[in-house]
Amino acid sequence: MDPQLARSKGMSEALVTDAGAEERTTVDFERLYRSSHDDVYAYAAGLLRDQAAAEDVTAAAFERAYRKRSRFNADRGSARAWLFGIARNAALDELRRRGRQAELNTDPADSASLLDRGDQRSELRLLLDAALGKLEARERELIALKFFAGLSNGEIAGVLGISESNAGTKLHRTMDKLREACDGAL
Amino acid sequence: MERSSEHNDLATALAEVRPAPRDAFTQELDKRVAAGFPRRSRLDGSPLAGFAARIRGLPPRRLLFAGSATALAAIAVATVVIASSGSTPQRVQIALDRPIPTEANRVDRPAHAQAGGARVDRPAHAQAGGVQYAEAIPQVAAPESSASSHAAGVLVVPSTEGESGVEYSPSHGSLNAGGLADLSRNRKIERSAEIDLLANPADIADDSAKVFAAVHDANGIVLHSTTSSGRNGAARFELLIPSARLGDALAAFSSIDEVRSRHEATDDITKPTVTTGEELQDTQARVDSLLAQLSGAEVESEREAIAAELRSERGQAARLRNQLARLHQRTTYSRVLVRIQSGSSIESGGTWGISDAFHDAGHILGIAAGVTLVGLAVIAPLALLCLLAWLAQRLWLRSRRERALDA
Repeated sequence: MDPQLARSKGMSEALVTDAGAEERTTVDFERLYRSSHDDVYAYAAGLLRDQAAAEDVTAAAFERAYRKRSRFNADRGSARAWLFGIARNAALDELRRRGRQAELNTDPADSASLLDRGDQRSELRLLLDAALGKLEARERELIALKFFAGLSNGEIAGVLGISESNAGTKLHRTMDKLREACDGAL
Repeated sequence: MERSSEHNDLATALAEVRPAPRDAFTQELDKRVAAGFPRRSRLDGSPLAGFAARIRGLPPRRLLFAGSATALAAIAVATVVIASSGSTPQRVQIALDRPIPTEANRVDRPAHAQAGGARVDRPAHAQAGGVQYAEAIPQVAAPESSASSHAAGVLVVPSTEGESGVEYSPSHGSLNAGGLADLSRNRKIERSAEIDLLANPADIADDSAKVFAAVHDANGIVLHSTTSSGRNGAARFELLIPSARLGDALAAFSSIDEVRSRHEATDDITKPTVTTGEELQDTQARVDSLLAQLSGAEVESEREAIAAELRSERGQAARLRNQLARLHQRTTYSRVLVRIQSGSSIESGGTWGISDAFHDAGHILGIAAGVTLVGLAVIAPLALLCLLAWLAQRLWLRSRRERALDA
């Protein structure tokens, strides 16, 4: 991040945390942004499978979070869960706006370069991309929240509005399905 | 165990292929964050949109505080406006409700009642009007309305008993609101009024004389009056004022001294008037029929039976005519109660004390409570509707979002 970021007007406002009770309700936006912007992007890209859409969703999510930062209430969950709730709404709005489940907009140049290089990681990436493409959006969202965004089962439960045990069960089933999809792709 | 190991391998592989944002995008987002997400479109930059965004950005606690402060300010302003509009020296309260119960029914009471104080002789013109009410009823053809009643007469009850019939015409009351006169054009409206005056003890007698003069000017009738002088002097007048002159009379009473309160009331007696008139017509028709039967009867016993029935019907007709005349009189004349109490006026240098402060505080609190109640009555249903609409919109949006995942 730009070193001047914290000194800028916007971040100064974002950093304001009033004493007392307001500390519990005002999110430290700078810290949240720094720690989460890669995760939010990874989640959006994993769900939408579209780089441009993921960037739009990431930007929209942080803008919404910035404007609603004073409404954050720590009693209702962690700042990351709150942020990912906003990001999820933005991602679903994007899906709804498009009226379709976005297909992965893989950059042809990237794929070509990966294949040209022929390394093992590139093959793995292509394999997982194909396997993820076979999953339903809900399942792909679980994978994105867990392994791309790095949320705990409890945080996933908070974002999706389900119980933690239910989140774990669904995740386990989705992993089974992803493994089968990978086996099928080989 | 094997499956768990496979999951771990898969998790590791997923972590390795985790999507990462482009550097250019990250830098651009950093700039936007640093700038506080400036609004880009012209619409977003409008003052209204900015205000709406600021409102949306406020925490609920602050919104609640701001809303409460605004509501309190609105209540305070409304209270001040209402209180100041009703704080003129002569507070006039007009209510359209039932007539004021007075002692006017004591029609045979002598007009010169005394109440322990010095007796005030009524002027001659007042005495002239102060005939016994019961006797005056048949002659109470209102001086003003009798002429106009012919012009605007609505219903004339025929009478074959040697009278010219009882006419009841729309009252031409002169209540201040002109709209009321229009409303009562075809209605039989009984009116009454009550005025409380505040006078210096030394002025009680003079004010009483002015009341009699005003009654005389209005061609009214003093049904009952009591006047006492002294330190705690007071006067009370029960009057009948021609409805056509009620407004002028009330204005005259109000100008006598300081008005503490003024109350006017109306009662629509159209229904009993019309019903009585119809019953009278029916009775008269039966009388006519019986007269015809009587003339054709040849048997003595039959004639006696018809004559007995005729007497009964005539008695009934007389009773109805009397009742109709009373109803007519109630619309022609308005009952007015004038009370004069001794006391010091604020305007005349009276001091404003703690009791006045309590009274005014109670008055203001009452107004504030009324304003709050009315405000709640208006706002609460709207707020409930807005809340329901907001909840429905949230549910609908949530459902649409979840459906997007199933598409």
